[in-house]
Amino acid sequence: MMKIDHFLPAFITRHVLFALIFGGVLGVGFILFLIEFDHYTSTEEFCTSCHSMELAAEPYRNSTHYNPRSGVRADCGDCHVSEGVLAATWDHFMGSKDLYKQLFGHDYDDPVINALHLPEAAFDARKWFKKRNSATCKKCHVKEAINGERPDTLQIHMEDAKDKTCIECHYNLVHRKIPDEKTFKRDKWNAMIEEEFDLEKGTAKKLLEQ
Amino acid sequence: MISIRLFFISIFFLFLSNFSLAAKVTLDSSGWGLEEGKSCVECHSKSSSGLTHQWRNSAHAQANVNCLDCHQAYEDDNDAIEHEGHVIATIVSPKDCGRCHEVEYKQQKGSVHVKAVSFLKNNMPLLAQHFGGLAGNNSGCAKCHGSEVKMRGDGTLDPATWPNTGIGRINPDGSKGSCSACHGRHQFSKAQAREPSACTHCHTGIESPDKAVYETSKHGMLYAAHRDEMNLKSDQWVVGKDYSAAPTCVTCHMGTAGKMKSNHDVGMRDAWNLNSPVSEKQYLIIFQDGDKRELSTTEALPRRGETIKKLDGTEAKVKMVASPKRRRQAMMKSCLECHSKGFTKNSMQQFDDFVELYNDKYGKPAKAIMQALYDNNLLTPLAFDEPIEHTYWALWHNEGTRARHGAAMGSANMAWWEGMHEVATNFYGKFLPQVKELAGKKGDEIIKEHILESEYHEWLNRTQEATNVLGFTKESNDEN
Repeated sequence: MMKIDHFLPAFITRHVLFALIFGGVLGVGFILFLIEFDHYTSTEEFCTSCHSMELAAEPYRNSTHYNPRSGVRADCGDCHVSEGVLAATWDHFMGSKDLYKQLFGHDYDDPVINALHLPEAAFDARKWFKKRNSATCKKCHVKEAINGERPDTLQIHMEDAKDKTCIECHYNLVHRKIPDEKTFKRDKWNAMIEEEFDLEKGTAKKLLEQ
Repeated sequence: MISIRLFFISIFFLFLSNFSLAAKVTLDSSGWGLEEGKSCVECHSKSSSGLTHQWRNSAHAQANVNCLDCHQAYEDDNDAIEHEGHVIATIVSPKDCGRCHEVEYKQQKGSVHVKAVSFLKNNMPLLAQHFGGLAGNNSGCAKCHGSEVKMRGDGTLDPATWPNTGIGRINPDGSKGSCSACHGRHQFSKAQAREPSACTHCHTGIESPDKAVYETSKHGMLYAAHRDEMNLKSDQWVVGKDYSAAPTCVTCHMGTAGKMKSNHDVGMRDAWNLNSPVSEKQYLIIFQDGDKRELSTTEALPRRGETIKKLDGTEAKVKMVASPKRRRQAMMKSCLECHSKGFTKNSMQQFDDFVELYNDKYGKPAKAIMQALYDNNLLTPLAFDEPIEHTYWALWHNEGTRARHGAAMGSANMAWWEGMHEVATNFYGKFLPQVKELAGKKGDEIIKEHILESEYHEWLNRTQEATNVLGFTKESNDEN
């Protein structure tokens, strides 16, 4: 009967070998788990399992990113989660603060509370895209291949938008329209929400202070 | 005493109205041509080439006024939005135009045109809401009168209120009016604004039938024949100096005439109110804050310094008052550039006589009869729920307005066949029979009081008098 230690250096004992194989299998399993985890947690189904996200999904379902003529549907994670298992995991890890807020923060399930806090969420999301040079947009959209209905669309993208990243111009595409942070006016936003939900003037401010 | 005071006030008013209409912008040109605005056209030439093409052919482009010079906004502005890295406003309001065109901004600021929305709100809520509804108002009334543009909290302009270039538009920056109501964007051509179509775009149809009136007047006839001699593109456009082929709306209502300079307060030279059940001559009250309003001569003449109500409901001190006579004199100054004094005076006499005839024969009695019907509870207070209210409305608003505008601007057909003849047909053939039908015996009493005893209508009593207007004479009746 041949002994394993005939083929291996002395420090690889049986226990070490066992640990290596076990660890390797576990590691591969973990990576596979992460891939599957990232994949699943990037779906609309998962995201909207929090009721507050259902409110963000409503306008999304009416957008062209949900219903493009081509049928190529962008899922939540396609835009909001980076590519690559490490980056995706990191994004999900950071995103867990949303879960924390859902559980311990304001009552985001309430459409009014949700709408009142939405602008800040949008500003953060826009910064996220900008910081990544609109990387998730570019997974599908290639600047050099943007042939719009107008003959000049490609030219505009190649010349005038040469040094720009997608999100700088293309915001307010999918979710509820929110002004740019520079021109955002909290009192006007509050007034609009109050009108929309038939609330007394000043209610929004009180709700935000709570 | 009053007339002496008015005379002096009038002199002052004449002096004040001595602005130059097509005032050259005298500001230092370093005030425009913003560096950050130079690149807008590069993208817009591709994305909206028609728009930039218009701009390239404009005086603005020649003077290096670029997109951002007009569209720039500050972050705090009510209608500011972020656009390709710049903070801009979609709507360029008169206040924005007034950054360079100060004189015109000042003139239009108190004009009757900028009151167009409040006029609608105060006088026509029922038409706007009950006849129309919001969508009807947005595509109809508001397109000429103007909308109250609403900038929503999400940074979008409320589609119920924008796009809109109505002359009295209430802008997100608080200013009133819309320069592009007459000066079509983005070329803002002088020639285009001098065309009658700049006005008749709205001043047409039953409410303000001036397109048809002008086209069937001698003035309109000459304009159609000699349009190529109108020198419309000329930098300066003074009648008698730069053109004489025909007057357009601008010539008489706002143009330069002799020493009287042109003015963007278009209603200033109108002595009468021609769009009311009974026409009344109107004072023009000028407030110390620059705002203006009209006031019927049937009301007490306010004194200088007196505080009275403005049309928006707030109060202000009276700076001066222009009498209808003075306003008429201003109008006649433009006539005199082409016509003699006697010709002008007599033409105005014919116009005044016509309006007074309309007033006395139809306007006043019809109004008195309606008042009697309401007073006797023969009509509900709600307007337009009874047929006679529609008849009365058509009588003064559609037919009566057409008649009076026709007489004002020399269209015989509009004054008579489309005007007073229509009024008469309605009055005798529809309105009075409806009074009888509605009020029975009381109706006969009301008609007797207001109509049969009036010298204008006493012919109704002579029932046995035969004329051949319908082809029947007394003799032909006897033969049968």
